[in-house]
Amino acid sequence: MASAAVSAARPQDRAISLNVSAFLAQAHRFTVPLLILIVWQALDSFHLINSRLMPSPVMVAESFWQLLVTGQLLGNLWASLIRVGLGLGIGVLLGTGFGLFAGLSRLGEDTVDSTLQMVRTLPHLALIPLFILWFGIGETPKIALIALGAMFPIYLNLFAGIRSVDRKIIEAASTLDLTHAEIIWNVVLPGALPQFLVGLRYSVGIAWLTLVVAEQVNANSGIGYLVMNARDFLETDVIFVGLIIYALLGLATDYMVRVIEQRALAWRPSFIGTQSSGNRANRRAA
Amino acid sequence: MMTAIETRAPILDEARLTRGEAAVSVRGLTRSFGGPAILTDLDLELEAGSFTVLLGRSGSGKSTLLRTLAGLDPAPAGTVSVPKERAVVFQEPRLLPWKRVWRNVALGLRQGDTRAQASAALAELGLSHRLDAWPLTLSGGEAQRVALARALVRRPKLMLLDEPFAALDALTRMRMQALVAQLWQQHDLTVLLVTHDVDEALLLGDRAVVLIDGQIGADIPINLDRPRRHGDPDFIRLRQQLLATLGVDETTG
Repeated sequence: MASAAVSAARPQDRAISLNVSAFLAQAHRFTVPLLILIVWQALDSFHLINSRLMPSPVMVAESFWQLLVTGQLLGNLWASLIRVGLGLGIGVLLGTGFGLFAGLSRLGEDTVDSTLQMVRTLPHLALIPLFILWFGIGETPKIALIALGAMFPIYLNLFAGIRSVDRKIIEAASTLDLTHAEIIWNVVLPGALPQFLVGLRYSVGIAWLTLVVAEQVNANSGIGYLVMNARDFLETDVIFVGLIIYALLGLATDYMVRVIEQRALAWRPSFIGTQSSGNRANRRAA
Repeated sequence: MMTAIETRAPILDEARLTRGEAAVSVRGLTRSFGGPAILTDLDLELEAGSFTVLLGRSGSGKSTLLRTLAGLDPAPAGTVSVPKERAVVFQEPRLLPWKRVWRNVALGLRQGDTRAQASAALAELGLSHRLDAWPLTLSGGEAQRVALARALVRRPKLMLLDEPFAALDALTRMRMQALVAQLWQQHDLTVLLVTHDVDEALLLGDRAVVLIDGQIGADIPINLDRPRRHGDPDFIRLRQQLLATLGVDETTG
């Protein structure tokens, strides 16, 4: 990046100047959100907005602290995390299984693809009433719903990823005396991995969305339960805490997927140089 | 060992590696893709240790013939006998971008220290410093040299080159041509090079086979001293002869 411009500087100077400019660039990105918080707080302090409907940032922070020390927050957070973790895990496993089956064999495609494509068009959240009748109101319908929603992006992307692997590379590999299984392991699956990870990102987003809806319909624990309880008691500050938690969880899982991408797709030009092991190659190429 | 490829292309006997004997033998090969035949009743023998250049206009069937010898296309009519130890280099390097350079070269090796074998092959092509690089960081010439190393590491008896220099810039192409000539001389290799470049054919080959409409239109020995020079009168004479065979009327001043 900046290596060409400062090549004359001594290495340690360069490291320092890079750190400072990187810090300023990072800080700059938080200016606008910070300004919004300040204006919001000011409006509330001058009673320009109704704090019952729109609590100030300080009020939200206070109620966050309260929920934390009473243990309500962590307990409900744990309940939500378990639901998403189990649902996402089952969904990813199923999506991967169907994706491999349909992607790697014509028989598999004929067997499952048309069925899954039909079920896919159905909004999975519409199944809530049915799932409650089938599975009751415990954890099962929530986890099943999350699994169902998370399965499709994985299936669709893995299937498409496997089918779009460059035929020419497969052909070249087949001249190297590889077995069918070795070609799948060394060529087809790594080639489909980028598309699979795109699917994973969608799945994670859908898992959170499904959790929110499922917990608001019927639950006696979880972040959604906390929020719905707060609605009954007009505690808008608690609702805000719930929203912030959802946002943070979404950010955190998205970050996790990006870390996985960076490690698994280290060979891509956009990732080369983002890791220490790739730095050498990058410098040589420059 | 039988692989999926070899069951598609019949291999009748293992070629012995003595100069003078046929390393490759094709008899009555006919190939069509639905429409008119690309190759019609074609006979071809390649002497072990020879460097044959296959010339022809686009659509003349030269790539189809090479793919048949590589076992990538089935041979529905006729017999094809090729050594089992064969390697192909295509116009594009066709490396696996998710494997480091040495792993690309070592792919499919099953015996001994595969990293040492790969690194020896890469060293021979001047790529010792690129062992752990990702393929997408290589230049075009480097990537094609990795592809050559990947072919060479298998110790093939037959090397099939499908326009391997066509996508390279002029200077890199000249260096690669010299490199291939050197590899052919140092290893006990039978080479079949597909190209549409007459100069390349005369620089490298000791026999030029011109395909015209799916049959061998001309089979011309190239008895020039190596290393070869463009200015040599014999070179110029052969060049005109080959171009005429390909239907190019070159008016020289």
